[in-house]
Amino acid sequence: MAGYRDRLEADLDRWIADGLVESERRDAILASLGEPRRLDAATALAFVGLALLGLAVVAFVASNWNGLPRVLRFGLILAAFAGACAAAARASHAGHGAARNGLLTLAAFVFAGALGLVAPIFDIAVDPRVSLYAAGAGAGLLAASGGSTGAAAVALVLIGAGDLSDEVGTGWTWLLPAATLGAALAWRWRSAVLAQAASIALLAGSARFALASDAAEEIGFAASLLCLVLAAGARWTAQREEGVVAAVVYGWLIWGALGFFGASGSEQVMGGAAHRLIWLAMASGAVALGRNDRHGMITAGGVLAFFGAVSAILFDLGLDLMTAAGLFAACSVAALGAGWALHARRTTA
Amino acid sequence: MTPSEPWRILGAATFLTLALAGAVLREGQARADGREVGLPVREIDAGALLAGDPVALELGGYLPEGSSCPPGTEGDGPGSPFEASRGGWVALASLDREWRVAGAAAGRDEASRLGPLVVRGRAWCRGGVRPLLGLDVGVSQFHPDRQEAEAVDRLLRNSRADRGAVLALVSVGKDGRARLKGLAIGARRVELDWF
Repeated sequence: MAGYRDRLEADLDRWIADGLVESERRDAILASLGEPRRLDAATALAFVGLALLGLAVVAFVASNWNGLPRVLRFGLILAAFAGACAAAARASHAGHGAARNGLLTLAAFVFAGALGLVAPIFDIAVDPRVSLYAAGAGAGLLAASGGSTGAAAVALVLIGAGDLSDEVGTGWTWLLPAATLGAALAWRWRSAVLAQAASIALLAGSARFALASDAAEEIGFAASLLCLVLAAGARWTAQREEGVVAAVVYGWLIWGALGFFGASGSEQVMGGAAHRLIWLAMASGAVALGRNDRHGMITAGGVLAFFGAVSAILFDLGLDLMTAAGLFAACSVAALGAGWALHARRTTA
Repeated sequence: MTPSEPWRILGAATFLTLALAGAVLREGQARADGREVGLPVREIDAGALLAGDPVALELGGYLPEGSSCPPGTEGDGPGSPFEASRGGWVALASLDREWRVAGAAAGRDEASRLGPLVVRGRAWCRGGVRPLLGLDVGVSQFHPDRQEAEAVDRLLRNSRADRGAVLALVSVGKDGRARLKGLAIGARRVELDWF
């Protein structure tokens, strides 16, 4: 807040000098900010003391963990989980949204830890995949109950870990439906963080699904087309709606389109020069689109895909540098020509 | 009328707590209700006992000289190209105070024909003059607390002197799963109690 105040003071002085704001209003505008919140020494020391007490308790329990009866160990874990949830409920009742979100995220982690510790405490043989899915479902329930984006992101991570703990090529992937639900919640709660997590989870789940099938390249190609179509929709939505969820999803879908297309190059789907040239064109288009839409993530994805396409072409040509030089020169002429044509059109308009 | 947010949070917490506690109690009941069998332990990681680390167990052992591998167990262990089986059911038969592998099969009914008691898992046997049998019923390690670890360590040291056999005491439930209850070292037992 103090940093913003300094910037506002400098801006006000400039606006007054330019005649945009009357000088009599300067003090009233600055007074409307209020005093920045400051932590006094006593409160700061109290926080430090409580944090150290917490560390002391954790260290004491950890050092005596194996000496505690099993039921007591389990009870301590359940008490930690219940305590985090009770604190979250209290924060919700008091209207502290950030504290509620943080405490529910903590509770999601503690629940996952509780599930992981139950097996060694009681010597119960548990399938790690089932344990991770159950932890993800628990985190999802906490997220839905309290509108916690943090707990929802934790749920996606746990379910993704459950998918990864199984060998690729066996079993169903739960990440796809979970990520779809996460994206819907991100839209409802207008959460950019959850939108990021859900988008990454959607792409990871799609990749896992493709790798687990016998037609990975074909599915990858289809996924690339689907990402392009959905990206167009997300772009349209982002341009009309305030809020960042659509913009975040738009960026990741372009990454997905570029990545899936790059990975789908094979003789069955689209091999050889055609695939590489289209990939190069997509990458270049992504760079241009990112600059046009002022979306840094799309520009970055285009640049990475560009490097990937160039590397793939050089690899295909077996480092035949003369042929590579001719090919890149031809692509360069195409790109420069397209840029000149766009510039000419904008100038005449 | 939908409950307010604090009550929804408390409701979710209560449900998850009861679900977790219920799962543990259900496991405990299944452990208590199952049939106790003693399975021979081939290797036990005694070095991890007093370090507080999980203690690895390998079940199985050498068969008497001249004997043949039980039906369905011929082959190597998991991960080998000559792996005996990818999991299923193992038939057990009682021999004095320990239970031995009587055979292995993919299905429960098939395994039941090989021995009086069946358990989920897999067994493999490398043939030879003295065949080596390996057994995996989901009990590959245990986590003793301090008193249990000291008791097991003491008994293992004494058993090396009088060559007492080490048995893993498992409870085989109606679902066919094996749940570890403790160890028998020589004539003494160390139970992994929950209280």
